[in-house]
Amino acid sequence: MSTANLARPRTPALLCLGLVIALLGLAGASLTGHDLTAGLSALFQPSLQDTESLVRHYAWWPRLAMALLAGSGLALAGVLMQQVLRNPLAAPTTLGVASGANLALMAATLLAPGLLVIGREWVALAGGSGAMALVFALTWRRGLSPVVVVLAGLVVNLYFGALGMVLLLFHQEALKGLLVWGAGSLAQNGWGDAAFLAPRLALGGVAAWLLLRPLAVLELDDASAKSLGVSLKHLRLAGLGVAVFLTGCVVSVVGVIGFIGLAAPNIVRLAGARRLGERLLWSTLLGALLLATTDLLLQRFAGTLPTLIPTGATTAALGAPLLLWLIPRLKLEQRPGTAAPTFGRRHPVPGRLAAMMAIAALAMAVIALLVGQGRAGWLLTGDWAVLEWRLPRLLAAAGSGVLLAVAGTLIQRLTANSMASPEILGISGGSAIALISAIFLLPVPGNLTLVVVGTGGALAALGVLLLVNRRSGFRPERLLLSGVAITALFDAVRAIVLAGGDPRGQQVIAWLSGSTYYVDLPAALAVAGAAIVLVLISQPFTRWLDILPLGAPTARSLGIELDRARLSLLLLVALLTASATLVVGPLSFVGLLAPHMARLLGFARARMHLAGAALIGALLMVAADWLGRQLLFPEEIPAGLVASLVGGTYFLWGLRRPH
Amino acid sequence: MSLSNPCRRLAFVQLALLLLSLLVILPVRGEPLRVATLDWTLAETLVALGVEPTAVAQVDAYHDWVGKPALPPSVVDLGLRTQPNLELLASLEPHHILISPMFANLAPRLSRIAPVEHLALYSPDIETWREMRELTRRVAALVDRPNAAEMLIADTEATLAKLRKQLPANPGPLLMAQFMDERHVRVFGDNGLYQAVLDRLGIDNAWPGKTNAWGFALVGIEALAGLEGRLVVVEPYPAGVEAALGDSGLWRSIPSVRDNSLITLPPVWSFGALPSAQRFAETLVAALTEQHDEHG
Repeated sequence: MSTANLARPRTPALLCLGLVIALLGLAGASLTGHDLTAGLSALFQPSLQDTESLVRHYAWWPRLAMALLAGSGLALAGVLMQQVLRNPLAAPTTLGVASGANLALMAATLLAPGLLVIGREWVALAGGSGAMALVFALTWRRGLSPVVVVLAGLVVNLYFGALGMVLLLFHQEALKGLLVWGAGSLAQNGWGDAAFLAPRLALGGVAAWLLLRPLAVLELDDASAKSLGVSLKHLRLAGLGVAVFLTGCVVSVVGVIGFIGLAAPNIVRLAGARRLGERLLWSTLLGALLLATTDLLLQRFAGTLPTLIPTGATTAALGAPLLLWLIPRLKLEQRPGTAAPTFGRRHPVPGRLAAMMAIAALAMAVIALLVGQGRAGWLLTGDWAVLEWRLPRLLAAAGSGVLLAVAGTLIQRLTANSMASPEILGISGGSAIALISAIFLLPVPGNLTLVVVGTGGALAALGVLLLVNRRSGFRPERLLLSGVAITALFDAVRAIVLAGGDPRGQQVIAWLSGSTYYVDLPAALAVAGAAIVLVLISQPFTRWLDILPLGAPTARSLGIELDRARLSLLLLVALLTASATLVVGPLSFVGLLAPHMARLLGFARARMHLAGAALIGALLMVAADWLGRQLLFPEEIPAGLVASLVGGTYFLWGLRRPH
Repeated sequence: MSLSNPCRRLAFVQLALLLLSLLVILPVRGEPLRVATLDWTLAETLVALGVEPTAVAQVDAYHDWVGKPALPPSVVDLGLRTQPNLELLASLEPHHILISPMFANLAPRLSRIAPVEHLALYSPDIETWREMRELTRRVAALVDRPNAAEMLIADTEATLAKLRKQLPANPGPLLMAQFMDERHVRVFGDNGLYQAVLDRLGIDNAWPGKTNAWGFALVGIEALAGLEGRLVVVEPYPAGVEAALGDSGLWRSIPSVRDNSLITLPPVWSFGALPSAQRFAETLVAALTEQHDEHG
């Protein structure tokens, strides 16, 4: 440690003190609005005749307690996650806890409402644990290695998220209450939930404290850690287990609350907390204060809008710009072990494999065009009256599959991060935010308006990405963090909009789930054309793509101008993603899955990786679109959801295999 | 037989004309009007007008959430309201497709199948009841049953007038709510079905806050605590909510819960048209008079 640091030890104390003052000020203002002493005494004993006092006792105070508890729990879980997974992008929900809980609640509501009578939090907790158990089971044989765990968590999130979307799409009326839960409302109606949460958080806190010293070892690389005689696998299991337990408890009572668990650990690190113990302590404190202060602030605006301001999603929305501001200031260390994992072997003759994939894609296209169901059952037809509906969807599915797969391959190679996908970069998020706003703010938006607005949103997101990352020379880690921030903003906007219960939410859900439904022939031809042109444009970049994953020093020594290479690739990814998003929505995840599936099959060099991913993307989307139209005929499951489910299953199966 | 008799000649001409006109009319009569709709509110209006819609989106969910009037068994399910199956719809060759403005983005594609009619309800600047009547008339005109519309309107308004007379002397303000989960409710106010019915019945709404374009506000139940007004909960309760409310100190301290004057009503489609309005009015007045009798 240098003398300069010794002279001026930086801790997050000042930051926390500021928040404490803000919190006390807001709470005081709320209480003195009526009667301060009565408000304080209502904490312990409400006066039964006074409504104001009852509301204080049963709603206001429990809500403040809940905000403090939930914020601290999530921040603590965030530190553990980021420590064990060695990734500043990791959040408490990274391992699928929230999506598992969400799916369990939805399934219980539709299939076994009796379970919810026993207690909603238990159903949610069971779902969250199920998701976690799945992640651990899939990655156990790989020693819970951080990269694989993160990937498995990401895919389990997608998978459960897609299943949840399907249920939501078909049962929107029955599930509307869960949308409020999904947006993370802290409203309380008694002390029950706080009493449920407090002892569990205390238990988690003690467990984290016990794990403090062993977990600090994880800052070393695997070999050094092993040389200290630590069982990495069991240590990771313990660390992640505690984090997931904390998250599960919080999520089960108040729903999904974003930002805190991701941001608090990063903020305290930025404010100077270095050692694990310090970070745990300060994060827990900061998380509690951040959430409680935001919640009190938001309550001041409650009642001015005819809808709920859900604290969880709103915190995430407000936090996104803060996160964007933080990113250029974050000191990201070059951490070990973030390179893309190498699954599978290199295929000896990738050309032949690619030819087989192309034949499969063509065969699938013919089936999708000619075979389908009508009122009278299955039908093989070449009648244009039927084909005129199928052809645009086929073209759009294939085109967007190729676009997203190529974009995904580029971004994964550019960032050398296997979590990267075009969806995570924030381009589709930006376009989705713009489209949601258009659906809600314009009286009767036509399709052309939506395309224009969506393109504008994608460009705005790209502008933010460039602005935030210009100084750092588009360093991959920062790029991804900015993307995560924009995507978090999108998730928050979506959650707020859906929680409000506006019937137009159906339209949002339908479009978000990645359907080729809205495509007409001119648009489909445009997408297919864009796919061909952009794939050709990506060809000259293959040398860069082979070298960039080897790391910045290697790339520089081979004479690559990093800034220029990264910027050009980024622009290409943005173009690819925006073209696809406008047609099939932001959540298809082909961009994440296709490049990985290509690697699993043995496409290793950049040129073949691109070709393989493009073919898989096309095949996956065409098959998904066709299956989606047949499985529940006459109801249609959007192609993006089916692709997530089909691709996700294959992907999880591939992940499970040891080297 | 001779056609020289003027009377007979006339009769023949009449018969010929009759046959001729039958030839013109019969194909129209022989092929019933095929109407498809994506919107449940329009579907319930069609059924109430005595027209069987050929195809409706999400038929099962309609029966879960709108319930009555029931759709005929012959109705074809088009799939999701936001994404009706276009191949299937095209194969039914409908004469009209009725949609609400919410689905306007589908209109360009639907209009390749049949003429698309946009029918709005709950427009913010128009009085809801007047718009309901207009909607009913416009739907009836499209299916060529103007008389049925007048009958439905007259019948509904007469029923509501009769119910208004049955109300206890001073029903007091009501607070209309539907549970989303154990901590959140939708409270209904301006520009919604329930408000339109309350207005016709001359009952005040106790909700002082704003509502959205669909006539409701989403709030935590603490927002209900300080309000003067008898609480009316529209079912269904989401699973587990009733049990959870029993444990909630806040819920037990709400005036209508404390003095046991809470009213629970069977489900009514809260974005419905005249048929839903009538059903809601009937169940509400029945509950109010029953409570009044018990208390009296």
